[in-house]
Amino acid sequence: MTTVVLSALAFGLALFALTQRRLLWGVLGVGAHSLALAGLYLSLSAPDVALTEAAVGFGLVTMIYLLAIRRTGKLVVAACPIYPLLYQEGDRIAGLEWEILEGFARWCHLDLEVLWVSRQEIFELLRAGEAHLGAGGFLPNSESRVRFTRPILPTKLVHVRCQDGPAGVVAGEPGEALVPHPIVAYEDAEELAQALDRGEVGQAVVDLLRYREWQLKRAIPDASFTVLPEERWYSFAVAPGEEELWASLEKFLEELQARGELGELVRRYLG
Amino acid sequence: MRWALTFGLLGLTGLLGLGIFEIWPRPCFPDPDEIALAWGVENSVAAIVLGQRLWDTILEVLVYVLAMVGVRFFLAGLRWQTKLPPVAETPFFRRSADLLFGPILVFAIYVAASGHIGPGGGFPAGVIVGSGLLLLALAKGTEQLAAELYEPKLEGLEYAAVLATLVLGALVLIFGLRSATAFVAGNILIALEVAIGAWAVLHRFAAARGEV
Repeated sequence: MTTVVLSALAFGLALFALTQRRLLWGVLGVGAHSLALAGLYLSLSAPDVALTEAAVGFGLVTMIYLLAIRRTGKLVVAACPIYPLLYQEGDRIAGLEWEILEGFARWCHLDLEVLWVSRQEIFELLRAGEAHLGAGGFLPNSESRVRFTRPILPTKLVHVRCQDGPAGVVAGEPGEALVPHPIVAYEDAEELAQALDRGEVGQAVVDLLRYREWQLKRAIPDASFTVLPEERWYSFAVAPGEEELWASLEKFLEELQARGELGELVRRYLG
Repeated sequence: MRWALTFGLLGLTGLLGLGIFEIWPRPCFPDPDEIALAWGVENSVAAIVLGQRLWDTILEVLVYVLAMVGVRFFLAGLRWQTKLPPVAETPFFRRSADLLFGPILVFAIYVAASGHIGPGGGFPAGVIVGSGLLLLALAKGTEQLAAELYEPKLEGLEYAAVLATLVLGALVLIFGLRSATAFVAGNILIALEVAIGAWAVLHRFAAARGEV
């Protein structure tokens, strides 16, 4: 009788493990399945095998899976902070992009993890496969291997001019092609602002939100600025080879737009 | 594909049939309880694994060690350019893992040392220690734990354990040593090899991030 009950339990737990959409639950199901199998072996008077099954199936294998899904069961976002799209506020992360990403992670049953890095490192992490998404006021550029999603928010580039001298840009952003040479590339907007402040570069090309941040923080000296006429937009960058992720993020954004929630978010964060 | 599958299944059924109807030649086994009695231990499984079939166990240990050496050798040269930021776990989880590791270790030693009396033995004990190490790795990050464990010393310990197992095997096989002490020593040595090997292999694969 015990044998039949334990067999049924093992079968049921295996089915449970197979049908879970969330990896963590699947792993726990496999562990519980192993325990049921161990009980089954015990009832068949094979205690040595039962002990080994419990140690390997429930202990070692579960631990290995947990170590593995810590990376793969997560949606890893490499980002640089930009107010009010994605920023850290005390212990928590907030922002327009954050709310979209949170909704998306819930939608596809993944845990969200943010790595705060510089603009240049985002590309490195995406190419190395260490991060799935790049975020934080990402402007699409000619980077061929990274895919971009549909626009989240329109913006423009601003040409800031403090004095004569070389122009500074953020490496990898589309500003590079728009200003006269010589050009100095910086890792992220913060370094660019510092260089501008120190007088290393006389001009800079950045997007509207970052320029507003500089002005609010008084990070740069007084400057004249011209808004460049080309339309630009912020979007998410998706790591090469993550076609499925790209497609589902596109679909999610499309639905968000269709329901009008994206417009609602933009109104709430940007007025 | 379909034909291959059909033939495979038919062949498997045939093999099973051969086994069940005893057409397949089978070696003749003495009664397990008799073996246990002959080797002077209570657990007949231990008497078979570490006594009657000691050659099997020794060769299995060698296969395991060889696999581990291979993983170590071939994955040692891989280096990654971008360093991963360390995983941030909550202090509560970290401290719980630290506290849990002690009882896990004690239980593993119990399982290994009592393998000749009841269910247990070197292999499950080693796997239990390996799971405990993985729990620590989950809490602290693999690299941090590897630095704390100081791998070269562990490697030396593992090879020493293999040598000791071979010496013990020679004592039992050649000089006819039959005592419960030999069983306890064998179980503990095997536990050491399995635990260190499991940790070493998993650490290598974790460091290589599965991209081999």
